[in-house]
Amino acid sequence: MTAVVEARGLTKRYKNVTAVDHVDLTIEENTIYGLLGRNGAGKTTLMQLLTGQEFAGSGSIRVFGEDPVENARVLSRISFIKESQKYPEDFTARHVLRSAPWFFPEWDAEFADRLVADFRLPLKTRIKKLSRGQLSAIGVITGLASRAPLTFFDEPYLGLDAVARQIFYDRLLEDYAEHPRTVVLSTHLIDEVGDLLEHVIVIDDGAIVIDQDAESLRGSASTIAGTAAAVDAFTAGREVLHSERLGGLATATVGRLSAAERAEASAAGLEVGPVSLQQLVVRTTAGSVPAATSADASTSFDKEQSA
Amino acid sequence: MTSYSPPATATAAGIADAPHRSHRILAVSRLQLSNRMSVFGVPWMILGFIFLVNLVIWWIIYQSVADPADRTDALEGLQYSGASFYFFVYMLVLGVLSMAQYFPLALGLSATRREFWFGTSLVFVLLSVLYGVGFTVLATIERATEGWGFGGRMFTVVYFGGWDAPWYTRLLLFTSAFLFFFFVGAAIATIYQRWRVNGMLAFFATLGVVLVGAAVLITLGSGWPAVGAWFASTGAAGVVAWGLIPTAVAAVVGYLVLRRATPRG
Repeated sequence: MTAVVEARGLTKRYKNVTAVDHVDLTIEENTIYGLLGRNGAGKTTLMQLLTGQEFAGSGSIRVFGEDPVENARVLSRISFIKESQKYPEDFTARHVLRSAPWFFPEWDAEFADRLVADFRLPLKTRIKKLSRGQLSAIGVITGLASRAPLTFFDEPYLGLDAVARQIFYDRLLEDYAEHPRTVVLSTHLIDEVGDLLEHVIVIDDGAIVIDQDAESLRGSASTIAGTAAAVDAFTAGREVLHSERLGGLATATVGRLSAAERAEASAAGLEVGPVSLQQLVVRTTAGSVPAATSADASTSFDKEQSA
Repeated sequence: MTSYSPPATATAAGIADAPHRSHRILAVSRLQLSNRMSVFGVPWMILGFIFLVNLVIWWIIYQSVADPADRTDALEGLQYSGASFYFFVYMLVLGVLSMAQYFPLALGLSATRREFWFGTSLVFVLLSVLYGVGFTVLATIERATEGWGFGGRMFTVVYFGGWDAPWYTRLLLFTSAFLFFFFVGAAIATIYQRWRVNGMLAFFATLGVVLVGAAVLITLGSGWPAVGAWFASTGAAGVVAWGLIPTAVAAVVGYLVLRRATPRG
């Protein structure tokens, strides 16, 4: 594996917030990363730092072995698609897709045309008159067709409907298989992209709290479900990440279970299941919300999600 | 930056072939010109409109004064016409828009700030020469037709060399004036890109204080006649040549301000 991004002690402070706080990060070549975290956790700032758009307060960044700031050699290999991208007042999608190839050497015009048809993007309408979803489609198409060796998608699909999002996931995977590259996808829709991600980075309050490959992360916790008595017996002495109760039945989320432990749980009449990525991230980044172990756990969990 | 040397593996993914620098600067220039209507169409439409309005005014004057001596007098008076000023103001606006609208897009397309500034400056020079040539041609026609047949003056005004200036003086004056408005507009817009609203407030407050302060000092020192004399002795060509200094300052300062700016959503 080869590192395309290496950050050490990376810190960025604004007036009264530390948006990125002593981050050490390595991003490997030809992998799809999920950069997850709550609003204001520092995802966008981190990506702006890695793409030379924002200036680090302290620490070092190496992208393709060099400092990305004002570095054409590095930037010509990066595509950074952000939800907040602004376009000139009188621009149409056609203007954007015509100029993008001048900047991205790997641009595939045919692929772009196909994506335009997939997303049903009107090319001749002024961008300011497009819907939020169509605006997002311009970014998604630019990011995919640019085939940059390092592509960042920052919340790329605000307003895209479920069908369009599925098209995005499908095209991304297809094209990634043919043209391997490094993709960093920042999103709130964790469960939707769960299967896509090969590596998960969770940032909270400017610090990285999870940096793990998706496979082992998924196995790092399990849910067990059964009668309250059996669940209580099994979880006694274990760390419980979360539990819920409904009448005589209960579920609990516990840490990694060995094969023997799984067998033990099954023998006790308990059902063992995986924990979704989203649940894991919510548990890790719930922050001020008290650990959900009480009977009203499910309600506090809902609050976290809607927060 | 702390001292940190990337591991050997990182260089393996490093970059073998550097992109051609001038190629990416030209890409920014093309981007700035991608909407041809606002760059080439709208300015001439504005000019055409101003011209038509002025043509009507000239015609009214021409109809109301019949005496050849009075008509010569009117021609004299029109040498102070500021009709074309709006066109230059539009260039200032284009300078502002080229920053405000294209800087976030260019960085979104992975251009560096340096590439953006050089590519944009190239467009300013190109457009200034283009419009400079256009205005010079119009000035020549204006003179040849004795003021479009009605003794009107818009391009042979005193600020750009007057009635008898040779074509190359006109071309130089027009081009320099366009450069001034482009770069000053762009430089002011970089302040917004870097420091947002607070930067704009601070800039215009400072500008106001400086201008009023200068006026007060000149008035206190009874220096207005000297100022007038300087403009008279320097002449239009001289004033525009001096004007290249603020243009150059705007170009350099604009770049320095933009170099640390981050496009915001």
